[in-house]
Amino acid sequence: MLLLDYQNVLIQSVLTERFSGAPPVSIDQTVSDFDGVTFHISTPEAKTKIMVSIQIRCFQDLLRYGAEEVLNREYGPYVVPPEPGFDFSIVVDLENLPAEKEARDELVKNISLLKRNAMAAPFEQAYQEYYHLKAEAAKFTSEEAPQDVREGGEVKVIHYREEEAIYVKASHDSVTVIFSTIFREETDRVFGKVFIQEFVDARRRAIQNAPQVLFRNDPPLELQGVPGVKNTGTGGIGYVTFVLYPRHLTPQRMPDVISHIQTFRDYFHYHIKASKAYIHTRMRRRTADFLQVLRRARPDSEEKERKTASGRTFKVGS
Amino acid sequence: MSQSLRPYLQAVRSSLMAALCLSNFASQTAERHNVPEVEARTSPEVLLTPLTIARNENERVLIEPSINSIRISIKIKQADEIEHILVHKFTRFLTQRAESFFILRRKPIKGYDISFLITNFHTEEMLKHKLVDFIIQFMEEVDKEISEMKLFLNARARFVAESFLTPFD
Repeated sequence: MLLLDYQNVLIQSVLTERFSGAPPVSIDQTVSDFDGVTFHISTPEAKTKIMVSIQIRCFQDLLRYGAEEVLNREYGPYVVPPEPGFDFSIVVDLENLPAEKEARDELVKNISLLKRNAMAAPFEQAYQEYYHLKAEAAKFTSEEAPQDVREGGEVKVIHYREEEAIYVKASHDSVTVIFSTIFREETDRVFGKVFIQEFVDARRRAIQNAPQVLFRNDPPLELQGVPGVKNTGTGGIGYVTFVLYPRHLTPQRMPDVISHIQTFRDYFHYHIKASKAYIHTRMRRRTADFLQVLRRARPDSEEKERKTASGRTFKVGS
Repeated sequence: MSQSLRPYLQAVRSSLMAALCLSNFASQTAERHNVPEVEARTSPEVLLTPLTIARNENERVLIEPSINSIRISIKIKQADEIEHILVHKFTRFLTQRAESFFILRRKPIKGYDISFLITNFHTEEMLKHKLVDFIIQFMEEVDKEISEMKLFLNARARFVAESFLTPFD
């Protein structure tokens, strides 16, 4: 439970059940995911044809960075024109499922990763840019490399939440991923700072090969001149920078690294909220203790002699 | 218990014992009213000299005695931003439950984090030395609680950060 899953568990469980050979039923279910993403699982035509649609706030951004290619690669035969009100749809025919169980599980897994795959496009493009720039840079020494090779690729902006964005930038020796994140209140901001500090220190202390993590409240230099980046000058917004080094950028590790880094923002805020909840329960317990101490200050009410209606007294065995 | 905490608490305890000498006293300004004089401040002659006991610049206790009530305000140690937030959350949590705490004041005095108001009615129905015990225990535990919460937060943050970064290794 510590790390967040990459896939959507609800989609996974619905599809696993449908694919297990159970009699087809009609489905109409709306599923929510992080970052305001909505899925719709339905059977519009026949009970055997399951349609899964996704709606992402930043789909236009993603299209610009090659989401269509990635999605077509992943879901090629299943892609259909998007359902009205959604950005992307696929249809799976229950009568045309792969025969082996492994292949079916694979398909379920892949569909439940719909959000991850859509969001992966800009990252994959950055990886490709990195490979290209690296090959280019290898032809020159560092001083005489042309300007565009030294500066790296353009900054890709994904506005995945209303006020928050991910920025991805490739250069010839690294890929930089920057998350801008909003802290709704003072407590979140302070807790967030504690958490981020540990992210920054973790590399020095325990995990030498982790990506470098940087944190600041004003936009980093990489984002200079990027439209939509405001310098508010207050602590309400934070920029978390991950610098991925060549060892994270091998083609073999690409899928895992992309999946993992996408969960950062949700993971980060999830643990801030969890800490707040824990501290709250702790304070509740401590308050009960204090009340107990205060109650001791009240002397035990003395047992009054009790009388029956006729005036007789009796003792309660002590 | 650290070297300087013991005499600090001892001083608070003795001062409270001396100050908690309250009697029923009706208001001199409004007929048939009986209000805590330390809050009303209408008759200067029934107010006694306030007393501050300070352990250092960040930790102190203000005791304001009067004829029928005393007000105790505590400033809790806040070394950094995290402790500040935790103290703020904790005192707010307590004051929201002031009803069941009888002697807790809903709002702290300016410059302090939490205030108690003890009137002669409280000392009539509760044992005086136990009330003092409560204040002293509160002061002891609140520091402990704040530093434990801070330690927990740091430990959790470290663990969370390491588990997130391990898959990259």
